[in-house]
Amino acid sequence: MNDLRAKSPWITHYNTGGCNGCDIEILAALGPKFDIERFGMLNRGNPKQSDILLVTGPVTLRCRDVLRRVWLEMPEPKVVVAMGSCTHGGGVFRHLYHTENGIDGIVPVDVWIPGCTPRIEAIIDGLIEGVEIWKNKTKEKEYMVGHSEKLLEKIGVLND
Amino acid sequence: MMGLLLTLFSPIIGGFIYGVERVVKARMQSRQGPPVLQPFYDFVKLMQKRPMMVHSFHASMGIMYFISTWFAMAVLMMGNDLLIAIFFHVISVLALTIGAFSVRSSYSIMGAMRELMHVVSYEPVVILLAVSLYLVTGSFDIAKILTSDITPIFSLPLVFISFLGVMPMLLHKSPFDIAEAHQEIVGGPDIEYSGPFYEAVYTARWIEYVYVYFIVFLFGGSNYFLGTFLVVFSFIFINAVDNSTARLDYKKMLKFAWFILIPLSMLNIFFVVVGAN
Ligand code: SF4
Repeated sequence: MNDLRAKSPWITHYNTGGCNGCDIEILAALGPKFDIERFGMLNRGNPKQSDILLVTGPVTLRCRDVLRRVWLEMPEPKVVVAMGSCTHGGGVFRHLYHTENGIDGIVPVDVWIPGCTPRIEAIIDGLIEGVEIWKNKTKEKEYMVGHSEKLLEKIGVLND
Repeated sequence: MMGLLLTLFSPIIGGFIYGVERVVKARMQSRQGPPVLQPFYDFVKLMQKRPMMVHSFHASMGIMYFISTWFAMAVLMMGNDLLIAIFFHVISVLALTIGAFSVRSSYSIMGAMRELMHVVSYEPVVILLAVSLYLVTGSFDIAKILTSDITPIFSLPLVFISFLGVMPMLLHKSPFDIAEAHQEIVGGPDIEYSGPFYEAVYTARWIEYVYVYFIVFLFGGSNYFLGTFLVVFSFIFINAVDNSTARLDYKKMLKFAWFILIPLSMLNIFFVVVGAN
């Protein structure tokens, strides 16, 4: 059953304030040349129905809670794939006044895709790697990094 | 017996149609596309997700949509009244829209409104189709239509053409995929469903495929070969249109349905009645 499940990972892609280079590469991966629909991957754009959260960008302060919400709205089993140098501690946006320096402290990450911008082959590699991890996960509820009552109340998910 | 079996297997048939359609769509865009069994993999995947719902009424309306679509399918497959099947189909769509109206997500509400616009556009044409089939074959019963000596397509060509125009609205295909609009309102009425509850909505969509293509099959009358040909033709036509047009807005859809398709059907019915006298 888990092998069958591995053939249908649906993706939500969320840009947390990067330069858009990564997003264009993702669109290219969906197009005719690389066609990640071969693996059953669809870009749903809807966290409630997807399994892989593909994050790009250095998490600006405004995006932080939105990213947490998107992550919380995805039902388990789920996987987070961090794409591009931005997500690995900021990249070219590191130590700016408005960024969080990467998504490490916000949500738990399973796969890192290096590069600025990563090649499409690297994206496909990372997604497949993510699927391998996702295959062995269960329905058990996961918790985000540094979740506290105050934070949950702020995002509005306390009574979940 | 045959009808019961077909009813039970209609989700599987619909899944296959959807799988083939995704491959055809990919090939038309010169992509390789997913495997044909992809919808069933999605089915297994959605089954294994953690159930999450907005509130219980919303989730039960999703399941209601599934059940009443299947019921409409059963009425069709068992050879019963065509009108009853059509009314059950409307009930199923209403269940979906009521569910979508019951949550606070603005995309969901917008999708539900657009879904109602869909119903307003396609329902008159579908009812006129039932009426014209009655005029030609003398019965609303599917079993009688499928065994009558007259082949409805020869006396109802305009009704068939207007049903071809309505099919994209029924199946949410471009240029009339206004309720679903994946880039604008991210799926419309089904946006808030997740996991096993989305499963119900997803499977109901497959059953809808079988429902629509079965109505096309009725145009063949007792000539099943012709009926199958019409189904294959309409499948290819709908996919070609889906891949080569962009989404219109709901006003254009409504105008197209009410000012072109309904008069076309009416004209055909008029000629049938005049010819009979
Ligand atoms: S990793 Fe590089 S290409 Fe990607 S969003 Fe950041 S700056 Fe742009």
